Amino acid sequence: MRIAYQAQPPTLDPHVTTSQASATIGRNVFETLVTVDSNYRTQPLLAESWEQSEDGKTITFHLRKGVRFHNGKEMTADDVVASMNRWIQISSAGKDHFKGALFEAKDPQTAILHLQNPTSTALPIMAYGGGNYPAIMPKELIDGADPKGVKEYVGTGPFQFKEWQQDQEIHLSKFADYQARSEAADGLAGKREALVDDLRFIFTPDSSTQVAGLLSGEYDVAADVSYDSVQQLENDSDIQVNVAPTGMLNLFFNKKKGLFANVAARQAIGAGIDVESILIAAYTDPKYYQQNHNMMMYYQVGQWASENGKELYNQNNPDKAKQLLKEAGYQGQEIKIVTSRDYEDMYNGAVALQQQMEKLGMKTKLEVYDWPTFTELRNDENKFDILVITNTPKPEPSSLAFMRKDFPGWTDSPELDKLLIEFRSAPNLEKAMSVYGKLQSWFYEYVPVVKVGDGNSISASKKTVQGMKWLDGLVFWNVSNQE
Amino acid sequence: MRIYLIKRILALIPVLFVVSVVIFLIIHITPGDPAAVMLGESATEQDVKALRQQLGLDLPLHTQYVNWMADVLRGDLGDSYFMKESVAESIFSHLQPTLSLAILAQIVALVIAIPIGIAAALRRGTATDQTVMGFSLLAMAVPSFLLALFLILLVGVKLQWLPVAGYKPLEAGLWNHLKYLILPAISLGAIQSALITRMTRSSMLEVLNTNYIKTARSKGVKERTLVYKHALRNAFLPILTVIGQTFGGLVTGAVVTETIFNIPGIGQLIINSVERRDYAVIQGVVLFVTAAYVCINLIVDMLYGVVDPRVRLERK
Repeated sequence: MRIAYQAQPPTLDPHVTTSQASATIGRNVFETLVTVDSNYRTQPLLAESWEQSEDGKTITFHLRKGVRFHNGKEMTADDVVASMNRWIQISSAGKDHFKGALFEAKDPQTAILHLQNPTSTALPIMAYGGGNYPAIMPKELIDGADPKGVKEYVGTGPFQFKEWQQDQEIHLSKFADYQARSEAADGLAGKREALVDDLRFIFTPDSSTQVAGLLSGEYDVAADVSYDSVQQLENDSDIQVNVAPTGMLNLFFNKKKGLFANVAARQAIGAGIDVESILIAAYTDPKYYQQNHNMMMYYQVGQWASENGKELYNQNNPDKAKQLLKEAGYQGQEIKIVTSRDYEDMYNGAVALQQQMEKLGMKTKLEVYDWPTFTELRNDENKFDILVITNTPKPEPSSLAFMRKDFPGWTDSPELDKLLIEFRSAPNLEKAMSVYGKLQSWFYEYVPVVKVGDGNSISASKKTVQGMKWLDGLVFWNVSNQE
Repeated sequence: MRIYLIKRILALIPVLFVVSVVIFLIIHITPGDPAAVMLGESATEQDVKALRQQLGLDLPLHTQYVNWMADVLRGDLGDSYFMKESVAESIFSHLQPTLSLAILAQIVALVIAIPIGIAAALRRGTATDQTVMGFSLLAMAVPSFLLALFLILLVGVKLQWLPVAGYKPLEAGLWNHLKYLILPAISLGAIQSALITRMTRSSMLEVLNTNYIKTARSKGVKERTLVYKHALRNAFLPILTVIGQTFGGLVTGAVVTETIFNIPGIGQLIINSVERRDYAVIQGVVLFVTAAYVCINLIVDMLYGVVDPRVRLERK
């Protein structure tokens, strides 16, 4: 199966990079202890089962027997311990949420996670299948890794790594000795099976080249189709178009400096904008976005849902906004909106936002940069008032970018600090869920960002490709391609 | 001749030096850096800082330049920040597709341009001449990507005769290699041919009006011999210059065409590396491209001597 894919990742080692491309390609090769089902609940993968202690400070993982790495070696607790401890030490997710935590092997089939503090979010974060996921690799490879990543890609997944031609393709092939789980497939959980012999991820940066390649039969799947080409593809009877959630369009306020250091000004934007017209501008058609007041994405509401703050989402109330702006002492100074054109949804959304802010009587200026420049400028509090960004989904709310003190926008709220401690240090997720509603209320009071809505990305494939799904990235196991 | 060669090669050194300083400054002053790109969209500023330190990107600019230059002088262009290979390997692997494409495109250009240019010169002022001139003017104005998109739509998507994107190395078989390059070669070559056609026509016109051609014709030399042996050879010097220039442009990266047809050549390497802020690769490629361009011009100069013995004599 030939998949046209936009971006080449820096490495397939997910411990060192948060790149989504690395996850989408790499997780066919590497697996994790736990994973998520279609309702976004944690399910076992390489672990057979686990127990969480009463105080929430230890989690004991019982590993599956007879799981082999692609090099033939059987996976044991030593590999798990080496992999997970490295992930805790070097990955962004590990450093953030697992400070002072340590994995330890009790016997070859048992690994114990000792947490410094009870961490209710431990399991959902370890189950995440997107960028920076905690892959299990052989201990020898972990020991021989350098700062740029492991030297070889050996995992336990249904596909094994074959070849990487830089800037051309990554070639994976079916792993004959793969030990699948016996449960029915559900989301990323349950039975995984390689139904094609080869997966070739062909790097095709240009979206219209992907479309032409799919139409001419060069590719079986085009992973990143632009909204404008959908019609052309839908007219072709051999092609099917698939929609998948991609991220949430957020307006990040500079809370350190300028007008939006004042909470009333942030609430004014929340009150004044009409999300529908911004979303239409960004995603072109209601099929490609969802209005959703939840902090988390719409596909995650099976696990993360709260009605709190719903009335404050999409208010479309210019009078209230103008009143709030007056309260905030807005004097007509110029507001700098910054975004990147490397992502069309961000740019088009920003243009629509600018028009709406002008209608509220605000003076605005839109600045557009390429993505690497954008990621550097946004760290400077003198360079922007509002950033328009599509945030990638996160496994649980305390990982969301706007919860961080160090992320551009610089959320700084003592109330949030208290809530986060309460949320994270609950002994397990069930107990933490009671705090989730409070977090969402805080989100609509403090307004760290205004959430516009959830966006979808579009992929397309030949009709012969059956069973392709999306969960934290496109899923390529259990997918067949019969001519 | 040898002294001339040595002089020309020595003259390359200051050119490369200036280019290296300029490119180094431009890319290091541009915001964004490879550490942030490698760590991905969700990395924290702290992590980026740490990696920047590991990669030596936090050193003062002049120190970084000196370190890099020291390696370059030892023949080491360094390692890519983003890819798991050295810059030399990157250039080498991306050069093969570019060279194949450039040669093929040049052949397409010459096959179109030389006969048409000659025909136009011989039938000066007729409808043939005017049609050729009109088309070549149009071709010079059309950007090559427009022709590329048209070819993709017609030959690739509608007729499905040829693949529209990708690349297979020569080891995969000659036809496999060629079939991916035909459309991009036509879209590049057809556009390039416009300039060569015009140059061939005007250069031929000039020669055809000289006395020796008139004499030869009055002596009854066959028209074919007259045109191809006596006239074309003398008219060839300016044509060769244009060919050299267009070939230089093709080798140093047909950026847009490579992107549209997804050919992993030098042009695409530059684009990708700029997006990744892969300093080492950008610097290495720019140095390489500069050297290549100068060398192609040098080779063209040498070919003057082959085509026209008078040039050889003068240089001695």
